[in-house]
Amino acid sequence: MSDAQGSSVQSPLAAAHYADSANQYRVVVTENERLARDTYRVRFACPELAATIVPGQFLMLKLAKTDDPLLGRPFALYDTVLDTAGNPHAIDVVYLVVGKLTARLAASRSGDAIDVWGPLGNGFSSQPVEHLIMVAGGIGQTPFLALGREFLGRRQYGVPPRVIQPAKKVTLCYGVRSLDLLSGVEDFKGCGIDLQIASDDGSVGHHGLVTEVVEKVLTENSAAVCRIACCGPEKMMEAVAGIARAHSVPCEVSLETPMACGIGICFSCVVKTYQPDGDWDYKRTCVEGPVFDCEKIAW
Amino acid sequence: MPEPPAYESTITPPHSVNLQVSLGRVQLANPILVASGTFGYAREMESLVDLSRLGGIVPKTITRLLRKGNAPWRTIETPSGMLNSIGLDNDGIELFISHHLPYLASRNTALIVSIAGRTHDEFVEMAEMLSAESGIAAIELNISCPNVSGGVDFGTDTSMCERLVSACRQNSSIPIIAKLTPNVTSVADMACAASAGGADAISLINTCQGMAIDWRRRRPLLGNVVGGLSGPAIKPIALRAVYQAARATETPIIGIGGIATCDDVMEFLVAGATAVQLGTVNFYNPKASMEVLDALPEAIGELGATCLDEIVGTLNID
Repeated sequence: MSDAQGSSVQSPLAAAHYADSANQYRVVVTENERLARDTYRVRFACPELAATIVPGQFLMLKLAKTDDPLLGRPFALYDTVLDTAGNPHAIDVVYLVVGKLTARLAASRSGDAIDVWGPLGNGFSSQPVEHLIMVAGGIGQTPFLALGREFLGRRQYGVPPRVIQPAKKVTLCYGVRSLDLLSGVEDFKGCGIDLQIASDDGSVGHHGLVTEVVEKVLTENSAAVCRIACCGPEKMMEAVAGIARAHSVPCEVSLETPMACGIGICFSCVVKTYQPDGDWDYKRTCVEGPVFDCEKIAW
Repeated sequence: MPEPPAYESTITPPHSVNLQVSLGRVQLANPILVASGTFGYAREMESLVDLSRLGGIVPKTITRLLRKGNAPWRTIETPSGMLNSIGLDNDGIELFISHHLPYLASRNTALIVSIAGRTHDEFVEMAEMLSAESGIAAIELNISCPNVSGGVDFGTDTSMCERLVSACRQNSSIPIIAKLTPNVTSVADMACAASAGGADAISLINTCQGMAIDWRRRRPLLGNVVGGLSGPAIKPIALRAVYQAARATETPIIGIGGIATCDDVMEFLVAGATAVQLGTVNFYNPKASMEVLDALPEAIGELGATCLDEIVGTLNID
């Protein structure tokens, strides 16, 4: 399983989160809905994956039966969908159209085949916290619906389910360039997440950077009982890591580095991390992350 | 922890087809191998692939000392292929032997260890070190990595190649495979040199040198500026190289380059390859090797053959 305690390999050279429970599936699109400008939510039935994936883990998705594009791309779990008996049945992935694969995915229709493999990576910490502050930049919001639901006691994920002591409060600081790119607001509000929005152009929420919102939330609340989970552009995550350090708040960041396989075999998706001895080394984001303690990243 | 879902073969191979092959002193249960640098250290793949069904595993190339590898970006997709410049990121031979080898040597499949030295002596030293270990079916000399300086010279200079293969052969009890680059004028000449040095088999091709550019930023897309092209885009180049090498030497050939399906495998066998390595396909279809193994007996049967010898190098060019 993905949590560190589940790894059977103890050597410091072993990857912390091998794709031990991953499998590869050919699935079909059942829904593909536009949520905002260039932003879509695709749904596909895959009970095995839906049962095992946890918030912050990801899956690789490839268009089936084509070499163009050739490689899969990593996507975070947005949420699982339950069947009428209450069992995880389908997966929702929310994505921004940025290139060829996502453009073709956006054009896909119900019944189209896609290849997926997962669950991959480690996921966000399941350690108890009184106030979980989630910080998203743009499409970096995608891991936070499931994480928020989990920490508000609304949903469980994983087999066996991750045991999460509910937080007293879950805040999502969500920065977008402009209102038309904002997505998932009803989902976040619907499960009780305290939503704090910022936009570059002032078209919605705070006019300015999401980091300013994070500062405000930390100032207005007791930073001593908070933990940050962050996903977005690298510069934003670095800035959030700096704020977390200044407030002595633990902070996890979910990285997205260019990835070819998602399962640890290509050694593409490396990130420079500090080692216990103070030296640095490249670590594979897919099997050592994608979630890292921000203090381990050599920004 | 839940049990990983086991891969279940849906096809029972006909008893009439024998998939065993010989590469010099190396015997393989079947001709389907996985290529170095595209399968990690195999541990990563164990929930997706039944490793014991493979003809063999070539784990990621190791070097004498630890190498951190090249700066990102390390891969970029290109039409029907990808460029990589990983830079032989690995922990060095000693940690390979202590950490990865025990796992790899106990997978019930042939283990072919890929090594890259910076110098002639370093290659030989590594081959000697591996000879002291058990469970290694062969050593593949990576004299063809385009992303590091040094080693590739042995793949482009015939006399250096022959001398190196010969020295490794003399100083190691383990069979030697030379992995060649396509980035030469004559692959056939290099294959003959490796053969003259005593290689048990010759594997080819490694990646084709290439690059990708973001013209708006006037920047290369790879951190190392240039890299190696792999995937279906290079399959015709690889087929041509295998065909030429197989005609130039009696030494068994292992075909590599864009192989993704059973049809691809059959093309390489007919062109003259005794075995093949699946590479980049492992990235975008992790179960490709299992799919190929499921389909192979029927494809061999389609040609009326009962063993690989009746297929290998039977290209009809009249």
